[in-house]
Amino acid sequence: MRQISLRLNGVARTVEIEDQVLLVELVRSLGLTGTKVSCDTEVCGACTVLLDGRPVSACTTLALEADGRSVLTIEGLAKANQLHPLQQAFIDNFAFQCGFCTPGMILAAKALLDERPSPTAEEVRRWMEGNICRCTGYQSIVDAVLDAAGRRP
Amino acid sequence: MLRRFEVHRATSVEEAVDLRVRYGDDAAVYAGGTELLLAMKLGIARWAHLIDVKPIRELSRVAVARDTVRIGATVTHWDLERHPDVTRVLPALARLEASVANVRVRAAGTLAGNIAFAEPHADPPALLVALGARVVARGRRGERTLPLEEFVTGMYQTALGGDEILTAVEVPVPAPDARAAYVKFQVLERPSVGVAIVAKVNGASFAGPPAVVVGAVDELPRRVDTAALAGASLADARVADALAASARAAVSPVADLAGSEEYKRHLVGVFARRALTALAAG
Amino acid sequence: MPAREDGDPVERTRFRVAGTEARRADGVAKVTGAARFTVDLSVPGMAHAVMVRSTRAHARILGIEREAAERMPGVLAVLAGADLVAAGLHPYYGHVVLDHPALAVGSVRYHGEPVALVVAETKLQAAEAADLVEVRYEDLPAVIDADEALRPGAPILHHERGQRVGDEGMDQGEGALEGNVCAIARVQWGDVDAAFAKAHLVVEGEYRYPMLYGYAMEPYNALAFFDQGDLVVYSTAQHVYMVRRDLARMFDLPLARVRVSAPYVGGGYGTKSYTKIEGACAMAAHLTGRAVKLDLSVEEAMLTTRSDSSHIRCRSAFDRDGLLLAREFDIVLNSGAYTDNSPLVNSKTANRCFGPYRIPSLRVVSRSVFTNTVPASSLRGFGAPQGNIGGELQMDEAAEKLGIDPVELRLRNLAGPGEAILPGKRPLDADLREDLRCLVASLEWPGTGGVSVGFGVSASDAGAYPTSTAAVRIHADDSATLFTGSTELGQGSRTVLCQIVAEELGLSLERVAIVGGDTGVVPYERTTGASRTTTVTGRAVQEACRDARRRVRELAAQNEKVDVAAVEDAPAGVRVKDRERSYGEVIEGWFGAGGEVLGHGSVRRGEGFAQMPPFWEIGCSGVRLSVDRETGVARVEKLVTVGDVGFAINPALVHGQDLGAATMGMGAALREELVYEGEQLVNPNVVDYRVPRFSDQPPEIDLMLAERHDGAGPFGAKGAGEGAGNTIGSSVAAAIGRAIGVFPHELPATPERVWRLLRERDERARR
Ligand SMILES: Cc1cc2nc3c(=O)[nH]c(=O)nc-3n(C[C@H](O)[C@H](O)[C@H](O)COP(=O)(O)OP(=O)(O)OC[C@H]3O[C@@H](n4cnc5c(N)ncnc54)[C@H](O)[C@@H]3O)c2cc1C
Ligand code: FES
Ligand code: FES
Repeated sequence: MRQISLRLNGVARTVEIEDQVLLVELVRSLGLTGTKVSCDTEVCGACTVLLDGRPVSACTTLALEADGRSVLTIEGLAKANQLHPLQQAFIDNFAFQCGFCTPGMILAAKALLDERPSPTAEEVRRWMEGNICRCTGYQSIVDAVLDAAGRRP
Repeated sequence: MLRRFEVHRATSVEEAVDLRVRYGDDAAVYAGGTELLLAMKLGIARWAHLIDVKPIRELSRVAVARDTVRIGATVTHWDLERHPDVTRVLPALARLEASVANVRVRAAGTLAGNIAFAEPHADPPALLVALGARVVARGRRGERTLPLEEFVTGMYQTALGGDEILTAVEVPVPAPDARAAYVKFQVLERPSVGVAIVAKVNGASFAGPPAVVVGAVDELPRRVDTAALAGASLADARVADALAASARAAVSPVADLAGSEEYKRHLVGVFARRALTALAAG
Repeated sequence: MPAREDGDPVERTRFRVAGTEARRADGVAKVTGAARFTVDLSVPGMAHAVMVRSTRAHARILGIEREAAERMPGVLAVLAGADLVAAGLHPYYGHVVLDHPALAVGSVRYHGEPVALVVAETKLQAAEAADLVEVRYEDLPAVIDADEALRPGAPILHHERGQRVGDEGMDQGEGALEGNVCAIARVQWGDVDAAFAKAHLVVEGEYRYPMLYGYAMEPYNALAFFDQGDLVVYSTAQHVYMVRRDLARMFDLPLARVRVSAPYVGGGYGTKSYTKIEGACAMAAHLTGRAVKLDLSVEEAMLTTRSDSSHIRCRSAFDRDGLLLAREFDIVLNSGAYTDNSPLVNSKTANRCFGPYRIPSLRVVSRSVFTNTVPASSLRGFGAPQGNIGGELQMDEAAEKLGIDPVELRLRNLAGPGEAILPGKRPLDADLREDLRCLVASLEWPGTGGVSVGFGVSASDAGAYPTSTAAVRIHADDSATLFTGSTELGQGSRTVLCQIVAEELGLSLERVAIVGGDTGVVPYERTTGASRTTTVTGRAVQEACRDARRRVRELAAQNEKVDVAAVEDAPAGVRVKDRERSYGEVIEGWFGAGGEVLGHGSVRRGEGFAQMPPFWEIGCSGVRLSVDRETGVARVEKLVTVGDVGFAINPALVHGQDLGAATMGMGAALREELVYEGEQLVNPNVVDYRVPRFSDQPPEIDLMLAERHDGAGPFGAKGAGEGAGNTIGSSVAAAIGRAIGVFPHELPATPERVWRLLRERDERARR
């Protein structure tokens, strides 16, 4: 067992884990089940979380990597019941159907907008290439990200 | 799913080397884990001990000297695509890095891990070989530097010793009149053909033979014989024909889900031409 | 011209809520991570199960060594098929034929089949123990290819057939199901041979549509436990009532004592229709006395269900003017190791392959065939894309040979509204000619400058059994709750059904709640599939609302001591003695305090849906694409769909369905394919099975709606969700054919396949 300390959605936490525990297993075991596992091979992005602001595949990241760092999951995005602009934009643009890809999509998009607040549609597509959605056909997601960035699609 | 193992967080190269010696075949070096953890999850490989080299401070730096860019072993694709010195001195490498995998793999995966894994379907090796890159390894008997071309010895095989850690990749700073380009063809997650070209260009002609390397398609990156192209004009259609033929002859493509041997050999020719076009375009 | 985008403005303003782009009812839950999927559920004391899978394609099981696994820490049980039988359980399931074992009994029939189940306190313990289970096999000859499986002397998968428990897809066949034939479907009329004999032109060819994996992003998983002897199962099932029936049979339990619940489901597209792993999970719960969770990886999900691939041999006869004289199809589906839903897919393939044309003489035989491969079942459009590739592509090939424009050729042959395309079935409830004109106008047919165009039409007989019920409770504060067995798979059914309730009861959407997908709570719903929810369930919901209103009128009459005939409906309540009373006033007036009114609605075959199918699901879509002649890469530059949906109760949701279906279709047309090398699936993962990505999205997309209020559903609506994908395969193939001068007959048209076609064409030209 190993003790690690992290900031999880802004809250300082200390947890005991075994070395082989994955970051997605850790956050889900703490009740944060918004982070999903689908492909389990770093391809689909359903498990995307932000580790010190960078998007990573929580399905293939050891939980111990979070030691001394901050982790943002989908549950940490809305502030006091006030949806993040990306979340609102996803609702307004019908940017999901089943919703299984959505937490990862929104966090990947957040990482993009944090680095590039006003991306073009082409930049959105390129950045999000590693996030799969099987339901929507993607257009509504591109629209949502542009909408959140203040660029009405 | 992963089975149990223990992670050892090394804080110096010496410590990492000691751990390698102590655990031998039971241990693997662990950097971004984008390849290693995946292989372990799929049960292709299982190790009882992982030696984490990320805490080693000296491995996380990119240092630009007058004639070399030294990339520490834990520098990620993400770092390289944004690094101001890399984008300035090695723009073709920065562009290539931005096209590797997806953002998450780039954020975690290291260039050294990519090279050490020696998975043939990779982007950086072709361009790095063409640029004349070297790798630096440190083990019990100290440090050695060897050309990347000699480091990779086969599919998933390298010249790394059982006690060694890869510490850096060194890329010579290209001459002011040199240009570089990398183009690739990809249908699945990884490239199936990549062609790199590095050349000194004098006006619209090659000053000396260009360095052309084909990656991803064969067991190893393959150098293309370009002796006949020294002094040739970039715009000459016969140059493109000759380069394509020479590139096709340089490889023994490995058939897989991305294509048959025949198709891939054809693509090598197509992308050799496209590399030339990209080079000519600047 | 069909109404575009906004429909008929007059029609649309008739409604308050129906026809608007109301935000999704599940929106906030899904963007905040709060939406609970089955995989997110846990109960105290829950144990975890991991499958041990066959490493052989066809073999007898000689023995299973499990002592080493059983001794591992935390292990509760290592179960095999024989244990289920010994415990008096019925290990076989299937809604048509009981032949699919929860765990292999006696023999295995495909590589990857579940052989044993390890149950332990944690998933890691179960996985570690599963590594130690050794299965001894005696290999049997295996057959992977469906045509080979039909040859005399081929290895037989099922020497004894399972018990027949349903007739889906088995009602169209004659002839014995011998050898490896799982099901036969025939459609036939006219004198086919005579028609071919006198034809001006006969087009003949072979076509192939690939084995696909639907890749719903949430892999199959289930959580099962017993509560005082009642079986409770949470699962990713699309059809909770179908799974309930299978489970009741497996455990000899009355339906009332089996409860199956599907919370949010992470994608379905047909792949989660019918029972998958629920039986194995429930049996583990039964035999260990614990709550058991079984959640598969994507790789395991790919070894659980795929879609049927097709091999079509067909010919079409035309007269000089391009009028169809006859068509003949001989289709073989590779249906994998067990029956599952392949008979229905097979009969739909037979019904859908020839297209919505006037065809004087027709002969179709389609056979679903067992092979030692992953069992096939439903996937979006089941049967339609598999057959369409032959039927539509021959229209294009004929047009070229006859020198007639392919749009014109289709217009000459298409059946008009009200015409029958299958004898005895509901006449066509759509205007396909108008749809097609609209489509090709947007595609800028015939294309220019290295860009070429392909398009197609189809009509699918949707929903075999329109059995549906619904209940609506109107509460004392003028709000309402809808109870429906329909599952929210992402299609937006919760939103649309709430819109229907709000419209019918005159309430705002905020005052309508919905409870769904739990057999212990909600009324019966046969399935959630075949694009039926809006049309069929929507009608049941309407009936339930009207029933609730009727109850309110009765209560109002009693309150006011008048005859019920003196009470009229008001927008959100009743009008009685010239005064409007809200539902709440009536309800509280009757009960004194609190109270509610319950309305029930049902639809069935016969009433309202006098003729089958309940509606024709229309496919009308096309592409403009470009081909890189050096690499063979085809890229869709523009996608156009015409959603002939009668009336879009929520246009944004219809657009979402159309684009989603078309995108899946493009995946199958260009990239997706499960590949067998030898006896093993070589790409059971999303790394090597490539589904469409952001970069595959066509730069231009035009999603049109044709709203003619000609559907049998609420407000003239009819189903959506599959149509746009059904014709994409043949559209892409036709467009590539026009670009390179040879029509690809095999999908997906991968870069290498296109490159080979080009090269062969060039070689022919040189000779
Ligand atoms: C979905 C996906 C897509 C990808 N697409 C591409 C692509 O398009 N192009 C491409 O080029 N690559 C691609 N890759 C590979 C990716 O680039 C590499 O995975 C990554 O860079 C490896 O680095 P890492 O730090 O994660 O290595 P790890 O996984 O940590 O290690 C990989 C191997 O290198 C060894 N190793 C690591 N560091 C050292 C060291 N310092 N000394 C000695 N040995 C060491 C490890 O022991 C292990 O054997 C893809 C990977 C994935 C998962
Ligand atoms: S589940 Fe982690 S990337 Fe798909
Ligand atoms: S909304 Fe279902 S996968 Fe994206």
